[in-house]
Amino acid sequence: MKIIDGKAFSQTLREKIKDHVTVIKESANITPGLAVVLVGEDPASQVYVKNKGIQTKNAGMNSFEHRLEEDVSEKVLLDLIEQLNQDPAVHGILCQLPLPKHLNENLVINSIDPNKDVDGFHISNVGLLNTGQKSMVPCTPLGCLMLLREYVGDLSGKKATVIGRSNIVGKPMFNLLLRENCTVTVVHSKTKNIEEICKSSDILVAAVGRPKFVKGDWVKSGAVIIDVGINRVSITENGIEKSKLVGDVDFEAAKDTAMAITPVPGGVGPMTIACLLANTLVACCRTHNLAEPQELVL
Amino acid sequence: MLKPLLENKFIDGRKVKERILNHVSEYVREHTNNAMIGKLVSVTIGDTPEVDVYIRNQKKAAEEVGIRFEICNWNATASQEEVKRNLQNLNDDQEVLGVIIQRPIPKHINIRTLQSAIHPLKDIEGMNPASIGNIVYSDIAMAPCTAAASVELLKETGLTMKGLEVVMIGHSEIVGKPAAFLMMAEGATVTVCHHMTRSVAMHSRRADAVVVAVGKPNFLGPAMIKPGAAVIDIGINQVLGADGKTKIVGDCDTSAVKEVAGWITPVPGGVGPVTVAMLMKNAIGAHQKQQKAGWLTG
Repeated sequence: MKIIDGKAFSQTLREKIKDHVTVIKESANITPGLAVVLVGEDPASQVYVKNKGIQTKNAGMNSFEHRLEEDVSEKVLLDLIEQLNQDPAVHGILCQLPLPKHLNENLVINSIDPNKDVDGFHISNVGLLNTGQKSMVPCTPLGCLMLLREYVGDLSGKKATVIGRSNIVGKPMFNLLLRENCTVTVVHSKTKNIEEICKSSDILVAAVGRPKFVKGDWVKSGAVIIDVGINRVSITENGIEKSKLVGDVDFEAAKDTAMAITPVPGGVGPMTIACLLANTLVACCRTHNLAEPQELVL
Repeated sequence: MLKPLLENKFIDGRKVKERILNHVSEYVREHTNNAMIGKLVSVTIGDTPEVDVYIRNQKKAAEEVGIRFEICNWNATASQEEVKRNLQNLNDDQEVLGVIIQRPIPKHINIRTLQSAIHPLKDIEGMNPASIGNIVYSDIAMAPCTAAASVELLKETGLTMKGLEVVMIGHSEIVGKPAAFLMMAEGATVTVCHHMTRSVAMHSRRADAVVVAVGKPNFLGPAMIKPGAAVIDIGINQVLGADGKTKIVGDCDTSAVKEVAGWITPVPGGVGPVTVAMLMKNAIGAHQKQQKAGWLTG
């Protein structure tokens, strides 16, 4: 069994991005820029935004942070997005989700210029991806696909099961795996025999947000498992209660049956931010008609 | 769980079509006075006698529900830019409720460019990437007609969509993939098979419903389905009959599959007629969305 080292893989990916950024800075005198919009004070979101900013700068790109008050009006937020849409120094725009309840999340996402929509959530990008056209690809599923290509090789004809049908992971993952000519099943809360379906799969992508949802005996011998879940659970170690992060798969029980598996943390997580940087670079190249870095696009 | 109709296993597409059209004409009658219902515009480019029969059927359906139907033929030598400008004019025309681009179109014009040029709120064929994106996000008011028709026929069996195991054979952009998303939105567990799937039969034999869209006569035989399953046949293939005349058949070996299936759609008379009806249903979907967007006031 192999542990899929997302941390190391994302490190290599970020090096490649950095190299390419250097090239376009020198050849075209352009610096890719990522704008991140954060509304409110959610502690987890603040950590994410901070990390994104640091990694963006480490890759040699410009990072623009915009923080708005929790009770900001929709108009102010939409005006900011419009201003970023128009700003030639900004190639990617990311609005950190979730947004406070009074803001219409769909409206906000669909107000981002699709060419700058580095999260790939705008309905036009979703449709373009679905019809096999050039688009921005959502970061987490893109990261999962890169790991699968690395550890499985040719995916064509493989039986893949995606657990969870969310708009941000499950559905785009389904799409990407179909593009690779996998035979794909999406299972979800209404599915009757998840266990049986998982057992027949060469590839499992779990994205349900429930710790140990995928049991060890659901895993086919030799399967490759991508665990997207990030769940905080409390454990007791030497009589002391602590919290730790776990995925959606019972890692200890599954690891010996699987051919390869991503750990949590250190699997999919680091790939997501790396893919965000990749998308920003790709968006910049497309805007300026520069050659796209081949290994960073589909 | 499956309860086949012993009397008549055929799902009558014409009956479903009439029911949908009745529903649409009721809507049209109710709205004629307070919110204008514009016309549908069918666009052919160049000489395309092969689509005449489709246009005739669409026109007939539109007349039946009381929506005006205009047939436009644009010059085969028109440039892509000219065609786009013409579409733009239709987008801007308050009198126009929806636009249909009949295929084929001349080779020098990119169909995707035209599909993207139609405003999503007038895109009654559900072909604009933004329309596809809406389907993926489970906003299914204006879905590609053939995909929507196949789901409508599946529902006609009375089977509960929630938790239903469906195998979709074919992963084309205009039928297989959108149909998969539509069924997923209804709570079905969908597996998509295609030409690279190792054993389609292995998957299809365990499904409660099989939807087939591969374009190969007799592709689906009786050994490929579970007894009592519902079979939706999207194929339209022209073959030479024993009498030397051409006839239209689907992707199923219908007479043999009928003996095993609980329900089956005939070809012709199944998905075809319902597809036209879904176009009219999409027309009222467009009217509702346009009204909601404030286009039809005053």
